[in-house]
Amino acid sequence: MPISAAEPPRSAAEPPRSAAEPLLDVAGLATGYGKIGVLHAVDLKINAGEVVALLGPNGAGKTTLLRAVSGLLPWTGRVTFAGIDLAGLSPRETVQAGLAHVIEGHRVFTQLAVLDNLLLAAYDLPRRERSSRVEEALALFPEIATKRHERAAALSGGQQQMLAVAQGLVRRPRLLMLDEPSAGLSPVLVDRVFVVVRRLREAGTAVLLVEQLIEKALALADRVYALARGAIVLEAKTSEPDLPTRLEHAYLATART
Amino acid sequence: MLQSIILSGLAIGSIYALIGVTYNVMFSASRVFSFTAGTLGMLGGVLGSLFITRYGMPIAIGFLLVLIGGAIFGIITEILAVRPVLRSIEQHLYVLSTLALALMVQQLAAIEWGTDARPFPRLLDLARGDFDQQYWLPMLACIAVIVGLELLYRHTIIGHAFLAIAEDAYAARALGLPERRLRMASFALAGAIGALAGFAGGELLLAFFGNAPMLTFYGFIPVALGGMGNNRGAVAAGLLLGLFQQAANFEVGGIFASVAVFAVFIIVLLVRPEGLSGGALQRRV
Amino acid sequence: MSTPAAQLTPSRANLLGTSSAWSAALPFLVLLAFGLAFPLFGGGYWGVIATRACVYWVLVSGLNLVVGFAGQIAIGWVALLTLGAYTTSVLVAGTVTPELSPYVALAIAAVAGALFGLIIGLPALRLRTFYFAITTLGFATIVTQIALAWGSVTGGGVGVAGPVFPWPFDSQWGFYYFCFGLAAICTWMTANIASSRFGRALTAIRDAEVAAEACGIAKPGLLIAVFLFSGAVAGIAGGLFATLQTYITPDAFTLDLSVLFFIAILIGGRGSILGPLLGTMLLTVLPEFAAPLVAWSTFLYAVLLLVIVLVIPGGIAELLDFKNRRPLETHRAILPRPELLQHLFGSMPQGSALTLKEVALSFGGVRAIDGLDLAIHPGQVHGLIGPNGSGKTTTLNVISGYYAQQHGVVSLNGAALPLFVRHRRAHMRIARTFQTPRIVGAASVLENVMIGGTIDGAGTFAESLLSLPRHRRDEATLREAAMLALATVGLERLAGVRADRLQHSELRFTEIARALMLRPAFLLLDEPAAGLSPDEITRLGALIVAIAKAGTGVLLVEHHADLIFDICHHVTVLNLGKTLAAGTPAQIRSHREVVNAYLGG
Repeated sequence: MPISAAEPPRSAAEPPRSAAEPLLDVAGLATGYGKIGVLHAVDLKINAGEVVALLGPNGAGKTTLLRAVSGLLPWTGRVTFAGIDLAGLSPRETVQAGLAHVIEGHRVFTQLAVLDNLLLAAYDLPRRERSSRVEEALALFPEIATKRHERAAALSGGQQQMLAVAQGLVRRPRLLMLDEPSAGLSPVLVDRVFVVVRRLREAGTAVLLVEQLIEKALALADRVYALARGAIVLEAKTSEPDLPTRLEHAYLATART
Repeated sequence: MLQSIILSGLAIGSIYALIGVTYNVMFSASRVFSFTAGTLGMLGGVLGSLFITRYGMPIAIGFLLVLIGGAIFGIITEILAVRPVLRSIEQHLYVLSTLALALMVQQLAAIEWGTDARPFPRLLDLARGDFDQQYWLPMLACIAVIVGLELLYRHTIIGHAFLAIAEDAYAARALGLPERRLRMASFALAGAIGALAGFAGGELLLAFFGNAPMLTFYGFIPVALGGMGNNRGAVAAGLLLGLFQQAANFEVGGIFASVAVFAVFIIVLLVRPEGLSGGALQRRV
Repeated sequence: MSTPAAQLTPSRANLLGTSSAWSAALPFLVLLAFGLAFPLFGGGYWGVIATRACVYWVLVSGLNLVVGFAGQIAIGWVALLTLGAYTTSVLVAGTVTPELSPYVALAIAAVAGALFGLIIGLPALRLRTFYFAITTLGFATIVTQIALAWGSVTGGGVGVAGPVFPWPFDSQWGFYYFCFGLAAICTWMTANIASSRFGRALTAIRDAEVAAEACGIAKPGLLIAVFLFSGAVAGIAGGLFATLQTYITPDAFTLDLSVLFFIAILIGGRGSILGPLLGTMLLTVLPEFAAPLVAWSTFLYAVLLLVIVLVIPGGIAELLDFKNRRPLETHRAILPRPELLQHLFGSMPQGSALTLKEVALSFGGVRAIDGLDLAIHPGQVHGLIGPNGSGKTTTLNVISGYYAQQHGVVSLNGAALPLFVRHRRAHMRIARTFQTPRIVGAASVLENVMIGGTIDGAGTFAESLLSLPRHRRDEATLREAAMLALATVGLERLAGVRADRLQHSELRFTEIARALMLRPAFLLLDEPAAGLSPDEITRLGALIVAIAKAGTGVLLVEHHADLIFDICHHVTVLNLGKTLAAGTPAQIRSHREVVNAYLGG
């Protein structure tokens, strides 16, 4: 299927701050599950403090890309983060480098208390720093701070999602990767999560956001990448006016008709 | 007679329960049932007799060395038989790799230690009587392990990490927990518990290489009946199993007691494959 | 149907077929000659070893079907050897019954073995791997204990004399030839099973159970047959073992023996006859080369097992599989030939639509499908799209019986499809493929495709065991149809290759070929284009269109919107388990809400 017409004019969309080294630089990344190749030669850059939305139809490989970058899946290509080569690093090492990955489906540990869930995120930190970091993360989510001694099983889906995001924040990451934080949440709760993302950006944390709620994601993000059929098919600033049409074409590959 | 049935039943049951816990601790960390669980119990008896009776070590030192030996064998199990097959597409290879390791150690014991059951030293020279130490030592060990595990799982961060891996290993990895090191620690812990079972039950079971398959089988029954990964279920089922077996022993004789135990085990499993208490760890869809 | 098949498998391939059959039989013929001539150069003690190897193989050949083919981890098979040995010895000795002839006693041992094989095996239908392994281990310990305790019959610890067979089998070599003959017959019979639809079905149960069910393979019936056979030969082996030992006591039947049987199979390689045969010979002979090894033999077996599991999971059979070590062409294109479909399908009876009416299913409060209406018409391609979690695959799983809907009906020709009984779907000519291809990696591509036609065989398990005419006819028909199906999807050149050497896209087309073997009235495709290159997707589209044109109703679950819009007659869009829109591709494409939902807006 020729998709060339949907190919983004990549050079025009080069980030303006090209002088600065990007925080995350993914070049020619390929990965998959066993024999099944999912991503072929993905290029993507994220600058410090920037919110980037990663969009794409189902099965395009968005989750797979996050998994590869955070070390949950083996990959080939070149990925650097804050000047560190991520090749062969385990998830633990990428977390230590300052890259937090909040996986899809708010998978918190339901048997443990909210506080213990957060303390686990601080597992590698010095003992005396743990509780102050946990409190710092909890401060962003008053609705779960009041339930800190309850088991995570007692939280609603939305609260579990907040707990998962809070787990990601305990390590004060430089880049937070969120995989569909809105899935299964009511609109009110989605807005709550997005407010937190906005505050993180103000505090200088970069965010890579995989999202199904396109409009909300676009309202929040500085830039957007679209992934389809295992490759980046579009890169644009969210301020560009014809973005929705271009996205649609990139998604459905209908540009040829 | 009733008293001795109950005493010996609870004692044997405690050993079965501890082997069940050994299975569980390894299972929680890796989703793997290891054939080495009973081998650990056998090692506890054989190493205890070796260190204390043959080498004449003080009991405390011998005991410590037995626990360390069990822990080392646990770690070897993880490295040699579990880790290489965890990521394999073939899901059931662990059954074969742990079986191979269990057989190796069992045969090694048969060759180096001998195929005869040998006496296990008396640990404390208290007055012999109805309530002999050979009965209450296993019970004490069982209580100590259960209390210790509860404290570990409830109040320490490493215990929380164990629980996290048991519930969702993938999420634990994504969070940056050192999954591999925690798994090794779990196997070391399981190794020590299994060795403790054999050590505490040494006077009852003697130092005998043939205890390995026996404990592998009878120690698994509490796991199957109590629900996998469920320690409380394993202890309850283990004690029941011990009582039932001893009662049958007195009533119909040793051989048919084994047959009765086996029949009950098969029937219960066929009726309730998930165990009497149901699945312990429910996964979210 | 024979003409097109003959056209597309040119004579070279036919020659290849026969020559490969000869090269497969060659090692067995060499072993046969060696075994027959053995008394000429081996003497005395070696005769005992050779007889023992034959006796062991009689048991292992049957166990091989359980462990190597069906993949059931049965560790304690020594229990059946014990049973057979005591049954024969006690009946011949006449302590509890009138004295029986050794042959009659051996036959009774076979029947008893079959019965107990079934009892030991049955838990496998319900229990998971480790549980089953443990129960067989339990059986092994219990049986020895009973032998020890039941002194009035078994002689307890003192034991009982083994039976002596009358002339000409009373001499050492006479008895050797008796055992060797039985071993040869067992080899022949299990090899027949291995190359029959039953053998392939067993490997499918082992490696791809879900796919086996979708092909109409009923696990219980098949496993029962295998356990009966395996138990019977184990019982016979027991009788022979007793004669060989001349005197049996319970401690002759150690767990070590069980371990030997089990490990011989794994060292030999699963899914092979020759490998375990060599494995059995190796393990029987190995300790004899050096006396110190005898004590260490079980230790060595265990080390071997660990090495095999970790380093060469395929065992000896894989080492000997030279054919599959030849490199494959690197740039292989899959070129389907949809025009062959008419030969494969013949004339398809025209049926009515497969319909879903108000079907609903929840998982723990989450409504996966929520009142879904759907009709798949013969001869049409019906696309099913929607965001993740919208219920596409769940719908497919309800139709194929993996989930039972809580409300509503799925009906075909006006009759509701029964809930759950998955393997019955194949008999209704409903075929499917899977999101990740489920194939038997160790079997050839052709064998994988033949699995799809399992239900079309007419012969029984017993007929296959003895290679009777009906079995041979089944095989010929299935092979021909499978070659045709492979040619249809464009993979006939890879027919003889081990399936796990294929690329991902080739596995997807293999699955389609397997599904076509059913001549399906309805074909359910679960994301067939995932992981395919653009060219392959185009060819896949053409193939699907041709399948529909041949009369099959196709349900296509897919993420590739372009493929859906190109080839579907009708598209249903799901969102949150409900139909969001339904219509022609053109209607759907201009549907604002759909575009939003599909984009996730």
